[in-house]
Amino acid sequence: MEGLQLRQVCASRGHREVLHGLDLAVARGELLVVLGPSGAGKSTLLRVVAGLEPATAGAVVIAGRDVTRLRPGRRNVSMVFQSHALFPHMTVAENIGFGPFVRGESRHEVRERVARAAIAVGCGLLLDRRPDQLSGGERQRVALARALVREPDVFLLDEPLSNLDAELRAETRGELKALHERVGTTMVHVTHDQVEALILGDRIAVMRAGRLEQTGTPQEIWQSPATTFVARFVGSPAMNLLPGEGPLRPPGMAADPERVVGFRPDAVRLSDPAGADCTGTVYRVDVIGEDAHAYLRIGGDTVVARMPTTTRPAVGDTVAVAVRWDDAHFFDARTERRIAA
Amino acid sequence: MRIDRAPGERRQLALMLAPYLIGLGGLVLVPAVITLVLAFTDYDLIRPPQWIGLGNLAGLAEDPIFRTALTNSLVFAAVAVPARLVIALLLAVLLHRRTTFVGTARTVAAAPYAMPEIAYGLLWLWLFNPIYGPINQLLQIGGKDGLTALRRIPPQWLTDPTHARMAIIVMSLFTIGETFLILLAVRRALPPQVYELAAIEDAMSWDVFRRITLPLMAPVLGLLLLRDTIASFQTSFVPALVVTEGGPPPYATTYLSLFVYRNAFEYLRYGYAAAATLVMLALTLVAVAVQWRLIRRAQRLYGL
Repeated sequence: MEGLQLRQVCASRGHREVLHGLDLAVARGELLVVLGPSGAGKSTLLRVVAGLEPATAGAVVIAGRDVTRLRPGRRNVSMVFQSHALFPHMTVAENIGFGPFVRGESRHEVRERVARAAIAVGCGLLLDRRPDQLSGGERQRVALARALVREPDVFLLDEPLSNLDAELRAETRGELKALHERVGTTMVHVTHDQVEALILGDRIAVMRAGRLEQTGTPQEIWQSPATTFVARFVGSPAMNLLPGEGPLRPPGMAADPERVVGFRPDAVRLSDPAGADCTGTVYRVDVIGEDAHAYLRIGGDTVVARMPTTTRPAVGDTVAVAVRWDDAHFFDARTERRIAA
Repeated sequence: MRIDRAPGERRQLALMLAPYLIGLGGLVLVPAVITLVLAFTDYDLIRPPQWIGLGNLAGLAEDPIFRTALTNSLVFAAVAVPARLVIALLLAVLLHRRTTFVGTARTVAAAPYAMPEIAYGLLWLWLFNPIYGPINQLLQIGGKDGLTALRRIPPQWLTDPTHARMAIIVMSLFTIGETFLILLAVRRALPPQVYELAAIEDAMSWDVFRRITLPLMAPVLGLLLLRDTIASFQTSFVPALVVTEGGPPPYATTYLSLFVYRNAFEYLRYGYAAAATLVMLALTLVAVAVQWRLIRRAQRLYGL
């Protein structure tokens, strides 16, 4: 049985439709990351699942139960907001215990569950503090504990890591994954950070303009992006996408304006003049520690290459460009969909 | 650390502040000091004031009318101030969402505040008329022989002392426009995620109000309580003057402000009135001090 299922879900904001008939199934205990740029409808998707916004068409099914017409409180979901939404006037313990308390559980039971949830996320020593006495990371933990205390059917996480600084984000990412493995609850995690998606997700659903572009394991998303949008969105720097009639195309492929050729920056080699496909001019080099990204102009197109910093070219150099064509992707220029090589 | 200012800038600042400072000094501070001094004199606005020390205060302590006025003012403050605040809060919480006709409803809630006080008083004089006034006409629906449906005599708003006090309080309950607008703005500024979270946790609306809305709005409510308490000695003035004229006997709606006004400008006992003003000021300070302590304690409790 599925932990969460969306069937042909539509949703609107004002008069504008933001979700166009979404079909999505999340297995029980799975961690699904919804990935997309801002404005893609990721947050709306989450809010429709939680019941904070109505589905104008279709059905939301949680743990086999059609909840489309139920109010948020009856769906047995937990949500972590980007802003954490902690109650500023309550202690950490009161924040975590708010749900069980208002649902009328006994004082004793609430205290026990709060302690258990707090220990699970590592904020057991903060229970008497107030939100304004906590750091960003600690608030994050409290928000997680508050979601955890309910033992919900589905966890909904709306960009919970985007308010943290880079180091803390990496650390919390790992803890979140470990937490998911421990509690084994179905999780839907929304993010615009493709690294986060690749690291965290059992599966990734890539969204664009209210539609699903592709759903698959991180490896599938990386190795065989279904559309040019996914190819460009996942990976940094983005995959090179060149028209099929350009100078850079695999040996044996005829010039074909109906096709788009894609290859990742790692597949570009600049050092090998022997088997070079063509030459290009370097117009920008970014150095990120041991990594360097060189931006080349080849005819009218731009190609990014990635290499160790030690072997980087200089700006203005004319270099021989070779591509490892085994890793190339091909897309239909009109539909933007993937086609077999 | 101080920031160095150009000499011209300093002069410019002084020039721009001058109108306000001169007004504040000439129209507020100087008269206040004069009043303070006059409180210890016998002065009828005609002959020069004569120093009588604490004579005025001793006179006040024995004056039954002053004691009635004091009680009236305190009762008015104790009943009207919290009631006005509660009504404004309920309206703000009720009308903060964007729904059909909410704009109209907000305008209606705020409108009486925009009315000139005298016109407002004259309007209520008609509303309260015991025979043809709409309020008593409504109360008589279903009854006969001029009695209400419960076979009671309808309230004699302007002639019965208790009913007259109630009437002044009832009048004050509708001029909450400003408080309502402040609370509406505060409510609308509360973070929506907090409420969405409460909805996900299936909190009932009473719990949401009691555990989230009320504590989050508490600092502003405390401030408004202080402000309205200070103002309450004055808000009863116009209604008492226009609608009930301080009566019905025995001085049922003579509040401190009206007492001061009558003594100063009708009986020409200016020094006596100044002493009463001093008492009013002292009472206000005590009330504010007590409330301030209560508010601070509540803030510590909630860690705000």
